[in-house]
Amino acid sequence: MSKGRIGRTNLSDARILLVEDEPMLAYALEESLIDAGFQIAGVAGRLEQALTIVAGGNCDAAIIDVNLAGVSSAPVASALVAGSIPFIVVSGYSRQQQQDAFAGARFIQKPCRPDDLIKALRGLFTEGQE
Amino acid sequence: MSKEFKLRQPRGTEIVALRAQLKEAREVLKAIRSGEVDALIVEGVGGPQIYTLQGLDAETNRFRGEILAQISDAVIACDPEGRVIYLNAAAEQLYGVTSTMVLGERLSEIYSTRWEVAGGEALALAELRERGEWRGEKVHIRRDGREFQVESRVTILRGITGKPMGRLAVVRDVTERNRHEDKVRVSEIRYRRLFEAAQDGVLILDSGSGKIIEANPFMTRLLDYPRDELIGRELFEIGLLKDEATSRKMFETLRKTNEVRYDNLPLEGRTGLHHEVEVVANRYDESGRSVIQCNIRDITERRRTEEHVKHLMAEVNHRAKNLLAVVQAVAQQTAKHGDPATFTMRLADRISSLAAGQDLLVKTEWQGIDMADLVEAQLAHCQEWIGTRILLHGPPLRLAAGPAQGIGMALHELATNAAKYGALSNRVGKVHIHWQVSGDLDPGFSISWRESDGPRVIAPARKGFGQVVIGRLAEAAVSGCAAIDFREDGFAWSLSAQARDVAASVVARQP
Repeated sequence: MSKGRIGRTNLSDARILLVEDEPMLAYALEESLIDAGFQIAGVAGRLEQALTIVAGGNCDAAIIDVNLAGVSSAPVASALVAGSIPFIVVSGYSRQQQQDAFAGARFIQKPCRPDDLIKALRGLFTEGQE
Repeated sequence: MSKEFKLRQPRGTEIVALRAQLKEAREVLKAIRSGEVDALIVEGVGGPQIYTLQGLDAETNRFRGEILAQISDAVIACDPEGRVIYLNAAAEQLYGVTSTMVLGERLSEIYSTRWEVAGGEALALAELRERGEWRGEKVHIRRDGREFQVESRVTILRGITGKPMGRLAVVRDVTERNRHEDKVRVSEIRYRRLFEAAQDGVLILDSGSGKIIEANPFMTRLLDYPRDELIGRELFEIGLLKDEATSRKMFETLRKTNEVRYDNLPLEGRTGLHHEVEVVANRYDESGRSVIQCNIRDITERRRTEEHVKHLMAEVNHRAKNLLAVVQAVAQQTAKHGDPATFTMRLADRISSLAAGQDLLVKTEWQGIDMADLVEAQLAHCQEWIGTRILLHGPPLRLAAGPAQGIGMALHELATNAAKYGALSNRVGKVHIHWQVSGDLDPGFSISWRESDGPRVIAPARKGFGQVVIGRLAEAAVSGCAAIDFREDGFAWSLSAQARDVAASVVARQP
């Protein structure tokens, strides 16, 4: 992953963008993140929503699903890379099926344990500090 | 020959005379057979007639007779009256007769003729008269009934003065030959049809020059070349092999192994149409000429199908993983919000609800779910009330997969709640489910769930997972708005959205 530009070391302040088109997953993930002490920068089920939030500059990290109702979320990944915002890619597709835009990002296969996702998310911030 | 004899009892002296005559006749016959007689003088009604058997050119005649005896075609000569005056060994064998039996007899004593074409006999006679010769085919039937097809050459025999002396027929049994020719003809028709109707391209190349010498119609269609423009070209010239070097390599391999196979070659038709083909080339000998047969199968469609299947497999895998993730999330939320004692049952119900949605999606091959089907599937556990206590009203409408899952889960939660606390928890309560699509420009979609005649409604103290499902999650699924109303006289829920965000295709709209 790109070297994080993470100013905030206090995890409870970290604002996470969730890009997930499946409402149930987005909801469960949001609950898990809130329970783990993160702030939610936004939940986007569509590409444009996600890009708008990234452009707003109010997020510190993101968890993105590669496929949004049949549309690739690669542009979101590119926008995040451009803004040096670290992110985790989750997908039902295998890593081999991923597009280049997601290469290098931390990849987690669906379904996954909520703890693993939280751990990976915390990892983004510790990496950023090193 | 039949003659009538008036028989009378011969007298004693006559018997002695007759016996002497018979003896004499036998001796003459014997002498004739052993070749001691040169000529016979026979006293007939029209005076004495001389039959020359041997003469000055007896040696020549015998020599000719030997030749005729040796040839395998049947040779029969007749006098002008049509009586057999000569037949060779082959004729004896072919017709199953001996010379002694038939010499001097009419031809009909040897065989009868059947003409294969109507009027054949008249035509043959006319030709014989005009040209002195006829050749053709007919069927001969032996005295014992055996039939065979013959090729016959008949010529008029003439004396030195040009006077007709009889006829000579040279006959060949062509039954076998015709049967064989027939077989060859059938084979030719059959294999030509195979070649022409084949749904694979076939090219025949000359091994030496590498040039195309034959192409079937499928090949000309595949390449979009007329046949005569293919003939004489080499494979790389028609875009089948990349270049001359590749072509040379193929011929080299063919010389060694007699077979070459390419599983996947790109082929550009003349009009630029791209095909993928499988090529099998075999070298074989065609009556002394080495040729190469190339079978070219268009596998464009097959490759496309393979790609499609591969894509589908990946898609199925993706969807399965996604669904498992949803189940996991549902389990997580069910555990978090609900009573641990009823967790297993509540989770099982919710998984059943998801599964019902999957069934419907598979039924339409992922092309969405019909609203009425969705409602019935989600209310399966209170099906007996549909039409009586549960009243459905709405137009035919096909929902897209995502919205269908959100609305389906909401309906499941609503039904569970109604059965536990609401209108379906007593004996008289009713549920009205109503959906509609309205407005012409950018139509809106809405669905409502209204309960009546149930127990008095008390709003719950805290918001459970069920409320999340019918609220926020349903809203997200349709990008719309949900309204929840714990009215005292009956719970009400509604969801509205843009029809385009909900429908896979609007089948019909309310009048």
